[in-house]
Amino acid sequence: MYPGRKMANPLSIFCILVLLLGQQTTRIFTQTVLDGTGEGLNENRKQLPATSTKNNNGKDGLANNEEYHEELVVQPLANGFVNTYFQFTTRWRYGSKENLHNTRLIPRPIAEILLYSDVKEFHITLTQGLWRYESWGYPVQDAAPGAEAWSWFAGENLTESDVDEQWKRVTSTFSGIICASLNFMDKTNTITPQYGFKPQFVSSSTKNLTKHVRYSSLPREIVCTENLTPWKKLLPCNSRHGFASLLNSGHVHNTNYHSLGIKFRTLCNNQDECILEFTESANMVYDPKLVGATNNLDFSLRRMFGQGLNGHCPLADSSKVYVNLELPLPYEMTPLPQYNITSTRGGQTSHYGVYDIQKLKDQKLFNIAWVLRKPQHQVLSPTPPPLLAHRNIVGYGQEKGKIITQITNNYYNELPIVLQENIPWYMPVYIHTLQIKNHKTGELIQPNSLQYRPGVQRTRPYYLELAFKIPSKSSVEISLDFDYIFLKWLEYPPDANHGHYVGSSVITTQLTMARNYTAIPLSGYRFSDSFNATRNSYILTIRTESLILSLPTPDFSMPYNVICLACTVVALAFGPIHSVATKKIVVEQQDSDEPRSFVGKIMRKLKKKNKNSPTIDGEAENTLTSSSSIGSEKVK
Amino acid sequence: MGKLFIFAVLLALNVSLGVGQEPSNQLNQYIDAVQRSTHTNNWAVLVDASRFWFNYRHVANVLSIYRSVKRLGIPDSQIILMIADDMACNPRNPRPGQVYNNANQHINVYGDDVEVDYRGYEVTVENFVRLLTGRTQNGTARSKKLLTDAGSNVLIYLTGHGGDGFLKFQDSEEITSQELADAVEQMWEKKRYNELFLMVDTCQAASLYEKFTSPNILAVASSLVGEDSLSHHVDSSIGVYMIDRYTYYALEFLEKVQPNSDKTMGEFLKVCPKRLCISTVGVRKDLYRRDPNKVPITDFFGSIRPTEITTGRVNITLAEEEDFIEALLQQEETNSQHSNFNVQFESQFPKDLFN
Repeated sequence: MYPGRKMANPLSIFCILVLLLGQQTTRIFTQTVLDGTGEGLNENRKQLPATSTKNNNGKDGLANNEEYHEELVVQPLANGFVNTYFQFTTRWRYGSKENLHNTRLIPRPIAEILLYSDVKEFHITLTQGLWRYESWGYPVQDAAPGAEAWSWFAGENLTESDVDEQWKRVTSTFSGIICASLNFMDKTNTITPQYGFKPQFVSSSTKNLTKHVRYSSLPREIVCTENLTPWKKLLPCNSRHGFASLLNSGHVHNTNYHSLGIKFRTLCNNQDECILEFTESANMVYDPKLVGATNNLDFSLRRMFGQGLNGHCPLADSSKVYVNLELPLPYEMTPLPQYNITSTRGGQTSHYGVYDIQKLKDQKLFNIAWVLRKPQHQVLSPTPPPLLAHRNIVGYGQEKGKIITQITNNYYNELPIVLQENIPWYMPVYIHTLQIKNHKTGELIQPNSLQYRPGVQRTRPYYLELAFKIPSKSSVEISLDFDYIFLKWLEYPPDANHGHYVGSSVITTQLTMARNYTAIPLSGYRFSDSFNATRNSYILTIRTESLILSLPTPDFSMPYNVICLACTVVALAFGPIHSVATKKIVVEQQDSDEPRSFVGKIMRKLKKKNKNSPTIDGEAENTLTSSSSIGSEKVK
Repeated sequence: MGKLFIFAVLLALNVSLGVGQEPSNQLNQYIDAVQRSTHTNNWAVLVDASRFWFNYRHVANVLSIYRSVKRLGIPDSQIILMIADDMACNPRNPRPGQVYNNANQHINVYGDDVEVDYRGYEVTVENFVRLLTGRTQNGTARSKKLLTDAGSNVLIYLTGHGGDGFLKFQDSEEITSQELADAVEQMWEKKRYNELFLMVDTCQAASLYEKFTSPNILAVASSLVGEDSLSHHVDSSIGVYMIDRYTYYALEFLEKVQPNSDKTMGEFLKVCPKRLCISTVGVRKDLYRRDPNKVPITDFFGSIRPTEITTGRVNITLAEEEDFIEALLQQEETNSQHSNFNVQFESQFPKDLFN
């Protein structure tokens, strides 16, 4: 066996196919809506005879069962910021599990996870900054600050301990893949949510599989170039070609908000034929005033990303830039979009301009600019989205505190809410203090359902899930008391005074109208699938802020400890030295058997009067000899 | 692929030697040159043990060495980079995603392509010793393991705050020189290195290599016991020191090294004389068998290519193309048989709770 033979396989197959087959197949996707929440996917594939059409660019090379899409969405936000969302989607109809050994566009580590574990769906986001729901609306993909991951496992005879072990392994694997400290996701911060996260994967209904979910977050996790680099390396074209070439570390980390996401899921039909969807997303919010050379609100791709778009990835089936045409300011766009799309979704109409990068003639560093004719400094105040949430810690002192989560419903209808809390073990909460209070009227709301699993110190977190309804146009406060506790000496991190982080709570609701809603529907996988995706209801997930908890911290600093220690030594030494230096031994002229009490003294005096004692000298001698014992010393 | 490469090399060699008098002799010389080195692969463990923004210079130190070894050919998969704190994306850094080793900002040592294997709280003495000795916990990712063998040349670079006989990690714990020596001894016993080069840039750095007893170790330290290692210069725009003196001059030297250059370890050990470093650079050579003046610097800072010399003919034609096409057509057929794909998603919201 020649080594060259093995190595050249994937690429050579691809090239040969392109040259020899040159066939094109078309696909027709039909999506059926079956009921309000449950969505169905019905994908019919029609194949034309191989000779009927010629396809020279050969993107649908390998049996047409793998596709790759690059998308970029640019959306100017109401307060002058610009939201940019990149999504790279690979969809592979791999058939049976054995085919996972030979990957083409899907990164090999991902296929290996599917091969060697029961993971069916995995989500991870690495986020820096806070998404401002009030002014920015809802993101395409919501993410908690820091690192957040959840995963679904499904298998026959899968036990909870198997799942725990697999969860540990898959997070460790991702810790290596994207250079983050995900190996800290262990049993001390992992919960099993009941309501908040539902399976987005589909397994064959013929098998009797048990499904398990695990969720964890690391709010302290930093996001930097070392995460972006491996994230880009998972893409078929790396960062050299296509949309990923716009993601350069200097222009990603200077944003107000940036979030990297990786998710994959499997969809299997009853014939045990499966699809693997692998999606990488990057969401950045730019402040045009900061990125531009001039202090105005103009912006362009080049200004935001540092360079123009250098064409598309040759492996991509589609490479499209979508720009939102509902502009908060009277921008003029150059060049104009190739065509426009009007999307009506849940009573909300939105307009997008589309640039198909694959159809561009001149592909040298393509740029789109948004220019204001008249300099404008006033920006519109945005309309608030239907649901908002905030969280903070109240109270004073370092003994007791309270977490308050405030959820506001701006909707004209009451909203069903599922609130999920993952509270670390070092924040012991009291469930009996849980209160859901209408902020305005002060009346208490009874939860429809409550799931609670108390935490155990150093072993597992407090898990709480609440289901309740928020009345229309009102806000509620969910409060929970907790204690500040001392940790053991070695449990304090090296920067103990920074405080300990508490992850965001996750709030899920079901909207009947898609205002501000841009999430991709369950059965879809590209951003363009969200166009005209009217459903009976829309699942919305938002996250609150993460919290910093300042636990009482001993002073670890060296000078402090040195001072304490030195003072103790000095104090201990001072006592004896002082007493030795100032003590004087005095001989007391008294009887050793002299009674102490007042009555005794009188009795003695009476006795003395009766007897004439002749031995005063002898007594004096006695007291002198006994003065050597400590008991008779008197310090003056 | 390796054979392919060699074949190309041999071809080129043959062409160039076509007019030579004794091609076989020259080929043998070439084979000797390739096989002379005693090691088969290169690894680097680069550790910054300091946390907090005011220790910016230690991160710049370690990234400078990272940049050099990567430039000289050690791939990211064979570099274990440990950085105890995040300087690049630190809120105090006015240039997000960038770390410079010079106030003139010539080189962004963080770059656009960096893979940090251990970061933040993961950088502990325990993890460092586990890494060296290969006793990582179950489930540790491959990129966090030092997968060396008896043919590996390992470069260990340590920077942080040291004292006589210890190096501080994260400002909260220490590794002593005895612990380090024990870990290295264990590496030797487990055949985890061929030669080891230890480079330390801390105060009283020489104390860290004093306890070594294992063979094939060459060590260099930025200062002797009783001496402080000093920083090079401050960047007043961010208010912290940029880099330490020893690493600054070591980097200056390494920047001139190319993968094919003939600079030796002997020259590298003379880097940063006392008038520049202010501290005395300490060297320990007694455990090292070879003469450092004859050891190419790329034995530790570069990467050896996996080469196999063959004088025979190598066939590099591809596998049978028809096989692929047939397999493909078959797959097409099976695909078209199951062209319908129906799945039904589960309900995404617990609606029944609210009835």
